[in-house]
Amino acid sequence: MAIPSAHARIDDIEKYRERVIAHPWAQDLTRDSARSYLGDLPRRRFPAVAYAEKGDAPLIQPRGGVPTFADQQALTRQLDEAGADFIPLTIDSNTRHNRYDVAAELLARSEEEEKNYLNGYPLIAHGFRLTRDLYRDLDKPVSLRHGTPDARLLAEVALASGIVEIEGGGICYCLPYSEGFPLDRCLLYWQYVDRICALHSTDAAPVHRESFGPLTATMVPPSLVVVVQILEALLAAEQGVTSFAVSFAQTGSPSQDVATAQVLRKLVRHYLDSFGFEAVNTFLVYHQWMGQFPTDRTCAAALITASAQIGGMIGADKIVVKTTDEALGVPTAAINAEAVRNVRYVFDRFRWADQIGSSHVEVEAELIESEARSVIEAIFDLPGELLWESVFRAFQQGVIDIPFSPHIDNANQLITMRDANGSIRIKESGNVPIQQADRKRERELLASREKASGKTFRSLLVDINMMS
Amino acid sequence: MSVARVVIGVIGDDIHVVGNRIIQLALSEAGFEVFNLLTRNRPEHFAQAALEVNADAVFVSSLNGEGEFWCSDFRSHFVALGIPSVLLYVGGNLVVGRRSQEDVARLFAQFGFDRVYHQSADIDGAIADLLEDLSHGHSERARAH
Repeated sequence: MAIPSAHARIDDIEKYRERVIAHPWAQDLTRDSARSYLGDLPRRRFPAVAYAEKGDAPLIQPRGGVPTFADQQALTRQLDEAGADFIPLTIDSNTRHNRYDVAAELLARSEEEEKNYLNGYPLIAHGFRLTRDLYRDLDKPVSLRHGTPDARLLAEVALASGIVEIEGGGICYCLPYSEGFPLDRCLLYWQYVDRICALHSTDAAPVHRESFGPLTATMVPPSLVVVVQILEALLAAEQGVTSFAVSFAQTGSPSQDVATAQVLRKLVRHYLDSFGFEAVNTFLVYHQWMGQFPTDRTCAAALITASAQIGGMIGADKIVVKTTDEALGVPTAAINAEAVRNVRYVFDRFRWADQIGSSHVEVEAELIESEARSVIEAIFDLPGELLWESVFRAFQQGVIDIPFSPHIDNANQLITMRDANGSIRIKESGNVPIQQADRKRERELLASREKASGKTFRSLLVDINMMS
Repeated sequence: MSVARVVIGVIGDDIHVVGNRIIQLALSEAGFEVFNLLTRNRPEHFAQAALEVNADAVFVSSLNGEGEFWCSDFRSHFVALGIPSVLLYVGGNLVVGRRSQEDVARLFAQFGFDRVYHQSADIDGAIADLLEDLSHGHSERARAH
């Protein structure tokens, strides 16, 4: 039985940091580089400050990372001018997989040939000193977007660069992104990231962590998203993190989105409070459609606008936007800026006085909450002294089962399908311990759809590609 | 007739699994016994698995154009293990760049594949092909190779 608590906090973190930054690619980074720099960082660079100052509408964050410093600087300026509230720094996949030498080589080639050989900004190859210069006059937060199972050095360099929002987590950056990276090691490495974020936090200027709720972004049932978000909030809180955002992606069903947001807010608060983490401030982030995007730009723009409406309706604190080029490749800065303006237009003109409710949403919310509670309580009951051990076991036993995860420890027994309303339903629950009544309810809600369609795989293809 | 056994998996270093899961479901629903090798497989992994489970057919997926590199001596791995007549199917996005369906089909036929589905999402068609090929029986296939 694992009880989340500060007892899980990493001992002797400074000694551990010494080992991590002994890496040759840490360059001249020291244990004090970040501390001294963050002390003088403008307050508005911290997400907690940005969130505290925000009005009714969600804050807007585009995506973006390019290899060279000059291009990243231009992109940053354009996104800033377009009205982005958070500036993204998306990291290339070589750096994500700790191949820093390869990233540095491909960066050199990108600079020489003026052609991009990396799919993001190689933060470690650039180093913290140069990266600080990207954001000299910026007065809004920078968000580190990556997908790195072992982000220990990356997080050290990010903090020293003045990047104080770190996305990721031991579950959400392992299960969807890796086929073989051992989940237990990933959970432990993310304890390190959480711990150093806490270490560099003050009450007024906490380093902010954000979980990645979309996971595989392919038919993940909302209740399991809620479970993973609660677990990562607790794992971060154990290490002393006090500013944390949970997130989820547009499901494709507006009513399910409204219900998911309600339950996510409620349960994350509930579980943090019940284990003594009342001091942790939580925020809600909404990701625009993360599945296959329409190739037609008009349709893509419509999807972005519709999704902005839902983000406003659910009272998200932040929305992460897509672009009309999503289906076509890495968007240009101009296309990215256009997406920010699209969403900004919606937020400037519409007001969502209160969340829209209906009996339909209530039923959905009750079901999501009941399922999430069953699973999370079952995880707490698994053997293991510390929460991360129980989480690891939960995956091995299929207690958490994420559809379409490439990871070898994922059970792949759970099968989902959309109902007639477009909401994601659990068709077969595998070893995920949801109650009999909830399983029955899922099947009832699915019944209308199933009759019309026939083969599961054919319906699933339609469901996965519903927006394209 | 006993249930036909099919080994499936993604070849190369690609870890996209959506298609792989869909194929698993489709074959299971069509009544086949499916052995899913998941991602990051080499040709010898398919051959060893086919030998181990006495497979009737192997479905190879490749998404990012790695297929041409990994599949060039595909059939020879099965010949080497003494199972030369296993049905070999390949599908996905098989080559880099734009090439005609005929060119790609010819190329992968030379690699020893019985059926090639380049940039095609017609799973029902592939299952119909599989049923037809299986109805011809092993001896006939052994002669063909």
